[in-house]
Amino acid sequence: MSEHLDPSVQALLREVMEDEYPLLLDTFLSDSEARLHALRQAHDARDAEALRRAAHSFKGSCSNMGAPRLTELCRLLEHQARTGELTPVSVLLAQAEQEFAIIRTLIESERQRHP
Amino acid sequence: MQSTLCILIAEDSPADRMLLATIVGRQGYRVLTAGNGLEAIMMFARERPHMVLMDALMPVMDGFEAARRIKQMAGEELVPIIFLTSLTENEALVQCLEVGGDDFIAKPYNSVILDAKIKAMDRLRRLQATVLEQRDLIARHNEHLLNEQRVAKAVFDKVAHSGCLNAPNIRYMQSPYALFNGDLMLAAFKPSGGMHVLLGDFTGHGLPAAIGAMPLAEVFYGMTAKGYSLAEILREMNAKLKRILPVGVFCCAVMLNLSFQRRVVEVWNGGLPDGYLRRGSSGERIPLRSRHLPLGILDASCFDDRYEIYPMETGDRIFLLSDGVLEACNLAGDCFGEGRLLEVFALNRQPDLLFSEIQQALSAFRGEAQDDVSLMEVHLMEEGQLPHSPLIFSDSGQNASLDWSVSFEFRAETLKRFNPLPYLLQLLLEVEELRIQGSVLYTVLAELYSNALEHGVMGLDSSLKRDAQGFAEYYRERRTRLANLCDGYVRFHLDLRPEGKGGRLSIRVEDSGPGFDVQRMLERHALAEHLSGRGLKLVRQLADRCSWAPDGRGVCVEFSWPARHNPADRPSAQE
Amino acid sequence: MAITSQPSADGQELTIFIQGRFDFGAHQEFRDAYERVNVTPKRYVVDLQGATYLDSSALGMLLLLRDHAGGERAQIRLIHCSPDVRKILSISNFEQLFHIA
Repeated sequence: MSEHLDPSVQALLREVMEDEYPLLLDTFLSDSEARLHALRQAHDARDAEALRRAAHSFKGSCSNMGAPRLTELCRLLEHQARTGELTPVSVLLAQAEQEFAIIRTLIESERQRHP
Repeated sequence: MQSTLCILIAEDSPADRMLLATIVGRQGYRVLTAGNGLEAIMMFARERPHMVLMDALMPVMDGFEAARRIKQMAGEELVPIIFLTSLTENEALVQCLEVGGDDFIAKPYNSVILDAKIKAMDRLRRLQATVLEQRDLIARHNEHLLNEQRVAKAVFDKVAHSGCLNAPNIRYMQSPYALFNGDLMLAAFKPSGGMHVLLGDFTGHGLPAAIGAMPLAEVFYGMTAKGYSLAEILREMNAKLKRILPVGVFCCAVMLNLSFQRRVVEVWNGGLPDGYLRRGSSGERIPLRSRHLPLGILDASCFDDRYEIYPMETGDRIFLLSDGVLEACNLAGDCFGEGRLLEVFALNRQPDLLFSEIQQALSAFRGEAQDDVSLMEVHLMEEGQLPHSPLIFSDSGQNASLDWSVSFEFRAETLKRFNPLPYLLQLLLEVEELRIQGSVLYTVLAELYSNALEHGVMGLDSSLKRDAQGFAEYYRERRTRLANLCDGYVRFHLDLRPEGKGGRLSIRVEDSGPGFDVQRMLERHALAEHLSGRGLKLVRQLADRCSWAPDGRGVCVEFSWPARHNPADRPSAQE
Repeated sequence: MAITSQPSADGQELTIFIQGRFDFGAHQEFRDAYERVNVTPKRYVVDLQGATYLDSSALGMLLLLRDHAGGERAQIRLIHCSPDVRKILSISNFEQLFHIA
């Protein structure tokens, strides 16, 4: 579990957010869906700049939420977009979507414990 | 009490925004949030937060543009902007700084570092606010001070310019703000048509230096107009400054009494650098040394009013200077000094150009504006070339009586220390008809008085004054004899009568001397144009009638005037 | 600018040493040099050996010292005057008020 969602970060967030911790989790999930959607659109439109920006922003929130693998995938996507060579992006994007599916499950179970 | 620090968070990711707002809010700050750059600048305009945490990449308007606009709106006030970024490229970091970013913080957020940065930026912000506040305060004070100086200068100019600094025999160089360097120049016509000139330099700078100028000018002008002598005016100026100025503030000054009729100059210098009397004929340069303490130091009882007397001819020039001339410095820190000044004197070929040559030498030496230098040139002019300034009276004189006589006898103790002329003049000038010839009256009274005192009472021989050396000798002897005077008198009989519709004034002066051979004296005066002869000749020219008592111990002069006109077509002084 | 003062062993005389420019900037320091001492000297000495410059404000300060030291009855010597300093003092005829050496 720790390679997907860092438990020490989650502990810190719980401490900082107190009652609003569940709201933060909900917000992250819906925001991430929007980001992934934007990444997919940019990829389909072959828009490297839009791809780079979306990857950069997503990377920031992933790091804040303590999702190291997803953060790393965003970083690679951002890097790739900057080179302009979009071929490897399809693979990276698929990996990111897969990783997010795992994180969603983990967060939803976390959400169960903090209604 | 300082209001709670208000922080604007501009971040497009809702989760990051929520997290950051919570962290900052928990730290006790007031938080505003915006989801993009445009919202951020609108929020800034409305709420004026103290600090901004700004994400770089945002939709609608990015953080760079928003930062630039917020810095613009903030103006001189420091609104710190901390960029929230995981930007790794140097180029983007540079861009953050270029638009005015003050710091960065990387994601993921660390609340300890975040709080430390906010606190550091707040200190910087307060420091800037304090600096601006103090700058504005200083600017306001300065403006206030300059305004006070303008008012003081305007008031002072009114007093200072009631004199005759612009007379054709005076040239001067002085900064318009000389008053605040403590430098002062005064010149005024005497009732007799001669002139008093003063160059003064108060200790220090600014208002404290300017404060003594006003009473000094008032004494100078007031007493000069009333016919007081150089020594009397100096005594009064010294006493007044001593009375009103704090210890340690004083006025270095040189004062001249130029007499165009008698062709002499009296000089008193207390504390200013050597002035110079430069002979027009020979080019000889006589230093006018400081022989006294400055004005305002000594008690009235210790003050020394002794002055030097020099004969003066047309073409002779007097130069007076403040120490600013000698202390003028060049970029290397060297002073202009007496040596360089005397060199300019030595190189001069055309006396008329000397004044401007000194000015040029000074500006060539300093290479900048001369704002603390006062320099003055005064020369002698032929009597009549200078306008007689009309005397100014505060009353209309309509009510004065025209039919009276009065006699005075001034005896030795009085003659030693009292100048009766201003009192006699005041008395006569109560009569409106006499006012238009006030300066003529004064000249005649002064000549008759000095004749009676010097030749009659003290028995001085005027033929001594034939040359410059004898001249000095004469005045030394005069001083000695006056100091030792124990008997003798001078009498004035003034008699005023209506005559037809006009009137007549007769002045008879007698003295205790042995008398003189009237006929021989008149013949000699008719022949010679030497230094001694001018006085009596002048009296005969100015009075309507002039006669001597047969024993040579008294003289009588008369002034007549025609019927009184309407005030509207009153005859002017030139008639 | 550094102004220091040193009372004599018997406390009868206070010597004030002037270093550098003696002008208005030295005003407070100069006053402190004779006001903030625990002795009440009969005589004062102003040592001008280290003075590089002296202006009319300095002359004013000397008058303040003279006033402090009893005015007419003050006993003040100005010592180690350079030719320049001596000239400034003599233009103002301060030798009438101070012993200059």
